[in-house]
Amino acid sequence: MSSSTKLSALDMPDVPMGHLPEHLHLQRTRVVCKADAPIHTEGIQYSGAYASTGVDISMGPNKFCKNFKIEVVRLTEDEIEFDMVGIDASLANAFRRILIAEVPTMAIEKVLMVNNTSVIADEVLAHRLGLVPLNADPRLFEYLSENDTPNERNTIVYKMEVSCKKGGSRVTVKSDQLKWLPNGSELQMTTYDSSAKAKSYTSFSCSQDSLPEFSKKPLGVRFDDIILAKLGPGQVIELEAHAVKGMGKVHAKWSPVATAWYRMLPEVVLLKEVKGDDAEKLVKKCPVGVFDIEDLGNGEKKAAVANSRACTLCRECVRGVNEELVELRRVKDHFIFTIESTGAFSPEELFIKAVKILEEKCDRVISELS
Amino acid sequence: MNAPDRYERFVVPEGTKKVSYERDTKIVNAASFTVEREDHTIGNILRMQLHRDPNVLFAGYKLPHPLQYKIIVRIQTTSQSSPTQAFNQAIDDLDKELDYLKKGFEDEKNRYEEKLRQGY
Repeated sequence: MSSSTKLSALDMPDVPMGHLPEHLHLQRTRVVCKADAPIHTEGIQYSGAYASTGVDISMGPNKFCKNFKIEVVRLTEDEIEFDMVGIDASLANAFRRILIAEVPTMAIEKVLMVNNTSVIADEVLAHRLGLVPLNADPRLFEYLSENDTPNERNTIVYKMEVSCKKGGSRVTVKSDQLKWLPNGSELQMTTYDSSAKAKSYTSFSCSQDSLPEFSKKPLGVRFDDIILAKLGPGQVIELEAHAVKGMGKVHAKWSPVATAWYRMLPEVVLLKEVKGDDAEKLVKKCPVGVFDIEDLGNGEKKAAVANSRACTLCRECVRGVNEELVELRRVKDHFIFTIESTGAFSPEELFIKAVKILEEKCDRVISELS
Repeated sequence: MNAPDRYERFVVPEGTKKVSYERDTKIVNAASFTVEREDHTIGNILRMQLHRDPNVLFAGYKLPHPLQYKIIVRIQTTSQSSPTQAFNQAIDDLDKELDYLKKGFEDEKNRYEEKLRQGY
């Protein structure tokens, strides 16, 4: 028997050296959405996961910088949609969590009720006032803790005085009735010491509109058509509201985004050739127009994937008879982010702020241990 | 009624250290780091970055209880590195990556705005 040199299975000519075989690469980089549930959803980062095949998937910051890409798709005053390629799901989720909960904003916290004879209860009205988005930039303000006195650096004061005349028609109280008081609170605190000077609830040392940063953009509410209450004849609402800086973690009113979400880039693949009538049926099935008809010369029609990015995973194309024709996949490291801002920040500033906050978190976590 | 105050989720009380370290007595080169007042936001990222390090044999994080605001990160490394070193290295790498991400985003945003302006 002639001795043949033993070839390892990995040195066989059809397996490329140093790269993963096709099916493993698919498992590692794509989530396959089958008709009932997705598979391969776990992220394989462990550097030694494919050690037995000799492939090293460890990654340092240099490799990250080489593979990373950002592309802005749409940018308006309130909304941004952009693609991030080359990051992991945990980073994308961290940005989403930080955008929702940890970017600080200004919102109304204390409401001093002078008179409220409307049908809306005091606390319900105060709750609604807290949720109104304000046009104030939180970077110009400091946090107000319990022992601090409210001053022009940490509070914004608003006043609302609406009444409905007896015999008149009903009045709808909208958020434009909230008037900014740059000089601070106008209400006096009751003191039992009659000789002491009456103190106001806030001690503003100078008027807020004299400060240069506020003269450019007056601090008001972002949207003036938010309905706060409705008044019948003879009812009055008189109140003063104090807005402070806070984070979404403490209460959702301090969240700077209407919402922020991400989805993975869809990839739609036709496993078999679909021709003629079947092609027409497939194209009609998709509600968002992922497929399209391609004319091949002699009157024959073929289905092709036109716009896989629009896929919403309704799974109509894999339901029933069509299960073998289409494969719906998601690319694991390509995220389509959408951020809708409520107005305090512009959406691109929001994302930059979120990255800064994540950097600060990392710095705080670096241990001072030896 | 029994829920802790919301600010407890991120305010580290006086006297407790933000990060504390406990060596594992039974396994060499293994340690647990307890990070106070943090949650999945930083825990999952740290775990992901630790996995990418070729010297790390085991890396995992958990929140022992959702109402106790801390995470425990457990790291085991080869003898070429130590858990503290791997932890610090992971955070440094994350810092670098985030810097690059921020710069990339700002560049792309400026490029997009330029494109919009020229399109007028």
